[in-house]
Amino acid sequence: MERERAAGGVAGAARGPARARVGWTGHALAIRVGSLVLVLAAWEWYGRRVDRIFLSYPTAIARAAWEMSVSGELPAAALTSLASLAAGFCLGIAVGVAVGFLMGRYRPIEYALDPLVNAFYSTPGTAILPLLMLWFGLGVTVKIVIVFAFTVFPVLVNTFIGVRDISAAHVDVARAFGASERQVTFKVLGPAALPFVATGVRLAVGRAIVGVIAGEFFTAMSGLGQLIVASGNAYDTDRLFVPIILLAVGGVGLTRAVEAVEARLARWKLSERAGG
Amino acid sequence: MGLASPPASVEALVAELAPRPSRATRLARHPAALKTASFAAFLLLWELLGRGVDPIMLSYPTAILRAFPPMLASGELPRHTLQSLGPFAGGFGLAVAVGIPLGLLMGRYRPVEYALDWHVHALYATPRVALIPLLVLWFGLGLAVKVAIVFLTAVFPIILATYSGARNVSPQLTETAEAYGARPSQLVRKVLLPATVPYVIAGLRLGVGRAIIGMTLAELFTAVSGLGYLLVTYANSFATDRLFVPIVLLAALGAGLTEGLGWLQRRVAPWKESERQEG
Repeated sequence: MERERAAGGVAGAARGPARARVGWTGHALAIRVGSLVLVLAAWEWYGRRVDRIFLSYPTAIARAAWEMSVSGELPAAALTSLASLAAGFCLGIAVGVAVGFLMGRYRPIEYALDPLVNAFYSTPGTAILPLLMLWFGLGVTVKIVIVFAFTVFPVLVNTFIGVRDISAAHVDVARAFGASERQVTFKVLGPAALPFVATGVRLAVGRAIVGVIAGEFFTAMSGLGQLIVASGNAYDTDRLFVPIILLAVGGVGLTRAVEAVEARLARWKLSERAGG
Repeated sequence: MGLASPPASVEALVAELAPRPSRATRLARHPAALKTASFAAFLLLWELLGRGVDPIMLSYPTAILRAFPPMLASGELPRHTLQSLGPFAGGFGLAVAVGIPLGLLMGRYRPVEYALDWHVHALYATPRVALIPLLVLWFGLGLAVKVAIVFLTAVFPIILATYSGARNVSPQLTETAEAYGARPSQLVRKVLLPATVPYVIAGLRLGVGRAIIGMTLAELFTAVSGLGYLLVTYANSFATDRLFVPIVLLAALGAGLTEGLGWLQRRVAPWKESERQEG
């Protein structure tokens, strides 16, 4: 159950501060930019030599992106995708936090739901796509349900771990001073679990995007996923790359935003760890 | 007279004097029983509900169980399972073979790190399932496209995990080894690799889950072979009991591989666990 969280920490650590070893550090930006320019130049050179159907090249993709933006096609598709993403993701967070909280707070609920959560979490989301299509048809609803199914478990599991691992001393002290269950929930457990919830949300961002794409590939013929499929079917490789790049940029932006929130929420947590 | 016989030991006295546990706490003492009961209740509820509604919408556990033997006997299930497992093993093996050395190089040599880290992070952020239509264009509809998507989804978590593991190896360890005259090959084999293994396995576990999602999506998209093809076929023919069979198999594959890697992690890096307990 903790696999996503453990590996998420690993991925997060890779972006941590650099080691203190002098020499190459001063050239970091130069090497990075140089490498990026080299790859783009090689792509441009090679892409112009091979058939356009197989591999487009950066300037052609940029031109296609401009045309698609001006015609309004790209913004419309992006908004459609974003709407389903937001609806499904919010639903996933709401249900994940609520159920994860109950599981972390009450042992019987933990034991009752734990096997089911494990079973559903290990089922690849894409495997139940045909079933969801059978149940929810081909419209917007099915996209929202898919995003929900892809995002609810990382949030749920991280909230659960966060609430479960809160030191019993905190709760006991609150109780000794006469805190009600409601006060314990909102003044002790909630704040303590928030950073874990944020971690779960960060891990779910990538899955949410995969969910939207999967939904748009097969069901609702709309949004960025449909743009990808249509461009692929038309062998229009320039246009194929545009939504892919937009999705990548959107994914990075969304992850960074959640990371910023996470860092704010976890600030006291880090200082506590350093003090302990 | 009237005095109860004294408790045999201090423990017994403490147990006697302790407040009676609430009902919830007493229930919580039998996690295994509760978990089993919960799962059984879920299956029972599904069975009852499933028999009540249209079999096209929702099948039920015994019907799904009955669907297994004919699919096995016709050779359909084994064939498509192999057509999924083969490319999966190939693509994942390739991802391991490329990802671990690349991650080690990036963690160990700064110029390599700076040359590659932007690209790796950018590609890691790109939803790789969005590349499936392009990969179909490049590799056709056969097994190669599955190998490609499994490789692409698995390789980046592996690179990033190995990379962060290698760069977090304590300089004390490497400097001590160097001070005692360790050759670079010894340094890699005896210090860097063992210290990085727990991270690598964490990356592999993350990679497994994503690779299965990617592979299934590619099979749904191409609809030519594999468990994903079976999903499409049974969904289109409204054979919902059979539709659940590949779902169960894919879930078992994901859970089995993840659990197996967790077991490997505990075997290969037991100090990681003990370290955590001491900390």
